[in-house]
Amino acid sequence: MKISLYALVFAVSLLSAPARLLAQDVTYEQLLHADATPQDWLMYGGNYQSQRFSRLTQINRENVHSLKPAWIYQPNRPLQPFESSPVVVSGIMYVTEPLSTVTALDARFGTKIWSWSPKLPEKIYTIGVHRSNRGVAVFANTVYAETLDAHLVALDATTGAVRWNVHVDDNNQGYAMTGAPRVLDGKIIVGISGGDVGIRGFVDAYDAKTGKRLWRVWTIPSPGEPGSETWGKDMSGTGGAGTWGTGSYDPELNLLYWTTGNPAPDYNGRNREGDNLYSDSVLAIDPDAGKMKWYFQFTPHDTHDWDAIQVPVLFDETVDGKPRKFLALANRNGFYYVLDRVTGAFVAGVPFVTQTWAKGLDKNGRPILLPNTEPTPEGSLVYPDGHGGTNWNSPSYSPQTKLFYVSAREIGAYTVQGQPKVNFPDFGGGGRNALSGDDSYGAIRALEVMTGKLKWEYRMLSPAETSTLATAGGLVFAVTDEGNFFALDSASGKLLWEFTVGGANAESNPITYEVAGKQYLIGASGNCFVAFSLP
Amino acid sequence: MPGSSTVSEKESANIVAYLRTMDSTIASGVATGDPKKGEALYNSSGCSACHMIAGQGGSIGPDLTRVGAVRGATNLKARLQDPGANLPQVGEGAFGSKWTQYLMYRAVEKDGRVVEGVRVGEDSFTIVLKDAGGKFHGFRKPELRSLEKEPGKSFMPSFKDTLSAAQLDDLVAYLMSLKSAQ
Repeated sequence: MKISLYALVFAVSLLSAPARLLAQDVTYEQLLHADATPQDWLMYGGNYQSQRFSRLTQINRENVHSLKPAWIYQPNRPLQPFESSPVVVSGIMYVTEPLSTVTALDARFGTKIWSWSPKLPEKIYTIGVHRSNRGVAVFANTVYAETLDAHLVALDATTGAVRWNVHVDDNNQGYAMTGAPRVLDGKIIVGISGGDVGIRGFVDAYDAKTGKRLWRVWTIPSPGEPGSETWGKDMSGTGGAGTWGTGSYDPELNLLYWTTGNPAPDYNGRNREGDNLYSDSVLAIDPDAGKMKWYFQFTPHDTHDWDAIQVPVLFDETVDGKPRKFLALANRNGFYYVLDRVTGAFVAGVPFVTQTWAKGLDKNGRPILLPNTEPTPEGSLVYPDGHGGTNWNSPSYSPQTKLFYVSAREIGAYTVQGQPKVNFPDFGGGGRNALSGDDSYGAIRALEVMTGKLKWEYRMLSPAETSTLATAGGLVFAVTDEGNFFALDSASGKLLWEFTVGGANAESNPITYEVAGKQYLIGASGNCFVAFSLP
Repeated sequence: MPGSSTVSEKESANIVAYLRTMDSTIASGVATGDPKKGEALYNSSGCSACHMIAGQGGSIGPDLTRVGAVRGATNLKARLQDPGANLPQVGEGAFGSKWTQYLMYRAVEKDGRVVEGVRVGEDSFTIVLKDAGGKFHGFRKPELRSLEKEPGKSFMPSFKDTLSAAQLDDLVAYLMSLKSAQ
């Protein structure tokens, strides 16, 4: 019996040749053409352009009203709400769970296949950092994940066995990791959290096979380097500028676009006179050389905690008969930006939420400040609040509608300037107090991608931190702060479906995929992943 | 900063900012009336039909078991005179933001039926109101003809003209005596 079973398995293996030896063996070619396999969701953001757009159409505007839960996954010990964006490869889903667990699930049933958790130290510094994780990268039968205590690990995609584990930086100095890595051809790119407690931010590249560090691009110059003059008195070692989002990539230009967080101390800029380069910026990095090609700073000398770590969305458009390459980013500071992603030149920028701190942007995209908007000891009311016009959650872009879908937060806060404290872990410069929930709201807004002009909005009760997902089925999916999953018509913004999962402060990253001919939508709310499909 | 901070100075600054945005009278003032007379007034004025003390009474309005520990005399007197003004807020909303408690809404259903009640639960698509009889009414917002906030309104009557200044002080003194840890 054993022999015949072995023979049968062997025969099946031969039949499947010349298919890949392992179904989880994701190649760079596949990643380059992620849109060609919409049944998978191969990476954070869906493709290298971070468009979060799926070409699947089984679930569409005609039938989405009958979408029903297919399965629910909950961790054994709920610790913190999920923020993870799943990756799906050939019917297997990889998610991360707080604090730093990686789990493989059968994407059709939600059945757990394996789970890996690091041995975390008892004391982990996560000041100003969510104790959560936003997902994995998969490449060459290996799953790459970051841990809260600032390690990068490579796990066998079929068993969860550790291939390598490297220490990225010192958590005892405030360095922590919560993001999803970005995989290029043989390189794993990661950012770092801890910008509020005086780390020195960086973007790192590691060899996918060995874990050897290939390069580090600092987000704050060393003393004497260009840009160091923008930090006033000797702050270059503790200025923050974390890199906790996940960057995008243009393979043709071979440029990686990675964004940076706020300078520190956050609400008091007294000791850091100047623009504080390269905080609150997008950096274009040559991933072979590990060198910055250009940068664009959104909020010079930020004193409102407006990290610019939003995911840059890459799109192409023909302008005056010429094909052009652009980068769109809806920023925490309340402005929507379009940049030329070849040169970093400013193309357009308009507010996409109420903002009260800038008169507008000048011809180079630099904000024209309004008076009396700095934090004060008494508290100064400014829109948007510290969580921003939108936060870390990804927007989406549909090449079909040419609309950019973003979770907009309509909320202000009293920002209070405190004494700057610069001795880790006692690090800070003030705080904020956001307005009442009854004086604020959230919305999914559809912006014309080239201009930022509002096409439609769908209002939510509260300012939400949800990613959006656009599909070729004519839909936009999102999740409210209270855990309502919903679908809108991507052309009109009309509500087509909603389902209540619950879970306060849902921070969902919904994606879609297909297994065995059935399309699924999945997102997290609270401590649950909920997958939906048509009956 | 992605989330709520644990930096102590930030927390204290937040508290300072929070207190600045609150009704400054919320915990201030000293009771000058007679709590015994106030208790009699409480019982004769029908307060217990809507309010609960130590598990006894109605459930339309706030539980008053510990009201003397969380409110000042000035605030309580103002509330007796203008119950719908300066409603308290709780910090259960998005990222620590606050929500108004006891906020009245008027919901009109598609068939014209009107329900007026205090909001007890809400998300983007649904709302639950509690009417003057203590009955819960849950609605899906898209299925309503209209839904409007009624700021300033309350089920509680104003005692501004029905009680004398001395009686109001007595009632406040009684309420201020309610500090049970139960």
